[in-house]
Amino acid sequence: MGTTSENKWEPKIVAFLCNWCSYAGADLAGVSRFQYPPNIRIIRLPCSGRVSANMILDALRSGADGVLVSGCHPGDCHYISGNLFARRRFALLNNLLEFVGIEPGRVNFSWVSASEGEQFAEVVREVTETVKKLGPSTRLVKNIG
Amino acid sequence: MKVLKFDRKGMGKWLARLGEKGNVYVPASSKEGKTAIGWRKLESAEMPPVSPGVPARPVKNFLLPQPEVLFRFSTRPGKEDSFIPREPEPGQVDNIIFGVRPCDARSIMLNAMPYENDPYYQARMEHNIIIGLTCGEPCSTCFCSWTGGSPMGTDGCDLSVTELEGAFMARAITRRGEKLLEEAAGIAVEADHDAVEGLEKMSATAVAGAGSGTAPERALRERDLMELYNAPFWQDLAERCINCGACTFLCPTCYCFDIQDETLHGKGRRIRYQDSCMFPLFTLHASGHNPRGQKVQRVRNRFMHKLKYFPDRFGPLSCVGCGRCVRDCPVNIDIREVMGKLLAL
Amino acid sequence: MSTANQKITEEIRAQAERLLSSGEVEAFLGYEKGSLPMSVRPFTARKPEDAGRLVWNSFCVLNLANYLPALLKSLEPPRRPGDPPPEGPLPRVAVVATGCWSRNIVVQIRENQVDRDRVTIVGVPSRGMVSAMKVRAAVNGREITAVTEEDHLLLVEGNGFRQEINRWDVVRDNCKTCRHPDPVIHDILIGKKAGQRQVQEPFAQVKDIESKDSARRWQWFAEAFESCIRCYACRNACPLCYCPTCFVDDSRPQWVGKSTDRTDTLLFHLLRAYHCAGRCTDCGSCESACPVGIPMRLLTKKLNMDVLEMYGSEAGMSLDEPLPLTTYDPSDPQGFVLTEREEKGGTR
Repeated sequence: MGTTSENKWEPKIVAFLCNWCSYAGADLAGVSRFQYPPNIRIIRLPCSGRVSANMILDALRSGADGVLVSGCHPGDCHYISGNLFARRRFALLNNLLEFVGIEPGRVNFSWVSASEGEQFAEVVREVTETVKKLGPSTRLVKNIG
Repeated sequence: MKVLKFDRKGMGKWLARLGEKGNVYVPASSKEGKTAIGWRKLESAEMPPVSPGVPARPVKNFLLPQPEVLFRFSTRPGKEDSFIPREPEPGQVDNIIFGVRPCDARSIMLNAMPYENDPYYQARMEHNIIIGLTCGEPCSTCFCSWTGGSPMGTDGCDLSVTELEGAFMARAITRRGEKLLEEAAGIAVEADHDAVEGLEKMSATAVAGAGSGTAPERALRERDLMELYNAPFWQDLAERCINCGACTFLCPTCYCFDIQDETLHGKGRRIRYQDSCMFPLFTLHASGHNPRGQKVQRVRNRFMHKLKYFPDRFGPLSCVGCGRCVRDCPVNIDIREVMGKLLAL
Repeated sequence: MSTANQKITEEIRAQAERLLSSGEVEAFLGYEKGSLPMSVRPFTARKPEDAGRLVWNSFCVLNLANYLPALLKSLEPPRRPGDPPPEGPLPRVAVVATGCWSRNIVVQIRENQVDRDRVTIVGVPSRGMVSAMKVRAAVNGREITAVTEEDHLLLVEGNGFRQEINRWDVVRDNCKTCRHPDPVIHDILIGKKAGQRQVQEPFAQVKDIESKDSARRWQWFAEAFESCIRCYACRNACPLCYCPTCFVDDSRPQWVGKSTDRTDTLLFHLLRAYHCAGRCTDCGSCESACPVGIPMRLLTKKLNMDVLEMYGSEAGMSLDEPLPLTTYDPSDPQGFVLTEREEKGGTR
């Protein structure tokens, strides 16, 4: 969707981050001044278990070129098991989306802890690069003319 | 009245020629090529095979498109034109729709009654030209004669085509239809006396077969509304209804709608789209109260609207007897039985 | 008429009459004859004399479990929010159930929609139900005026034609790949259990689509679901869909738009299928109810395949097992997670 200059298209990526690990990880990346692409738009949630398929699909519908969902490492969930329940749901959703032809790499999942600032930056770099390769999202994008 | 006679090839040629006047739509079959599903744009100068009976989808989708954009607006704050309604894309192209069965064509007239003062529906009427195709072989689920129509009916058509012994007989019903027939010069010939006589005979048989006795709409108009409303069978009928909207979306005379504003990335549009009285949301008030919160109330409303409220207000039944709801209801709710029960009360 | 169906019909009627006249149940959920060829109507018998109306044949395609939660609720004495639960046992309901329907009842029991003590399950091992759409295609879309069912043949009659069709040829795809035709729970069993069926490739249809590349899959998806009219027959025919407010009716936020916008239609189907993940028994009710022939079952079938492969679970097979999405295993596969890819030292 967004174009920053004449020909250079920059993807917009919506990132759903859990409050306790990945959001803190992003914070650490910032505090530690690790560079990562400015393409992500962060939405903070209490837990990756809070992320529903509706939200991910709504991001795609609204024209996000990519989605990143990130939570605590399994076993480290602030709510003990939120990410473990979520993991099953994400696995199924990921497969379902690929099944209907959403490009692999459009929707991404990761585990990043509060101490992994560099890892967070690395994930964002990787996701941005993948989405850039895929190009602007066209499937499942709503257009009201 | 002038009647033109086409052979199958000529028909295809004529339709292709009409493509210069607008989008020509012809009956479409499902991928497996077995069942009629609706209409598609004509791609070549070939007349597609037309299966007997009505296609799955009704012709109303041309007149009540999903969605109808009422107006557009900008949601960018501070701009001069923000939140000021703009007319949607002007310049509708004419559609020429071939193969519309008499029941479907008649539904256009019936829906025009409640939409009498609606500029959007009226504009669609202007821009959709209907080439009717009469029914030589009515289906077992058809009951158009019972509802005031006829397999040879021309209500709502600009042109009416009848298949007769392998040839197609076309006669104009409106001025617009006449104009389209002018395009058939060199393709069709004027029908001879025998053919015209055959056509008249068919029409006469259809009228004779249209059933005798009291027309149901007259009988139902005379009945006390509350008596029908409080009939004992609604509960039984509603019990098996799964409250989907298949009947309403397939029905050519279900014309109810909802309106919504859609906004995205600084752009907005107000759309009108077909809605179904089968859904609880249809009547849900902002307060949370729902006057038709129960399934039985919704099922009753659909039939009462078609068979009592509409006739009381406008005269005819709001049902053209196409039989789609009978054919495709997942739980076999049959409007013919409901009519029978109401009449027998 | 098919002797097998005749026998089952008679037994269902006898059981219904017995259960209703003894007062053991207040209502008996089954089918009665429909007004068209190949149609039956879900029917709730409430008096012993209604039992004679019940029928059984190969066109019983709508899952009866669909009616169960609402029917049970309607038989409870009315009470306001906060009122104490009524004393004593509540009225009971009997329901005819094949393999998949009984599994749906298990799911409903696990999800607290149905009270096991209030249902009498009349199990009928299924021979597979027939797809009316396939029958219509088999006679080239000509109008059918009568269909007579024999044990292995369907005699189809129409205006000027008469055709014999091998029954198995027109059995629904979900029934053809069904491995559990026998009811998993039942109080009464009618007929003989068929045992677990051996199916060579139950997910062949899914794998067929998976063999395409991403762009082709998208093309398939967009085209196959294009003709959807958003009537929600698939949703309403589904025994898993009992939410008081469906996500399609949410307005703040509105997850899917109204009308038949392509994106919104596809999103509806994705989310509908996804809501059935780990709960769907592939009963085919959705596909049979669809008036425009959309293959939405393939989405749930894909989910069923993944649930079976990743979590070793099939919905509704046992009353004691939690549903796969209500539980987890610390060692669940997570190869899809970026930070856990094998090349990053993660474990699959």
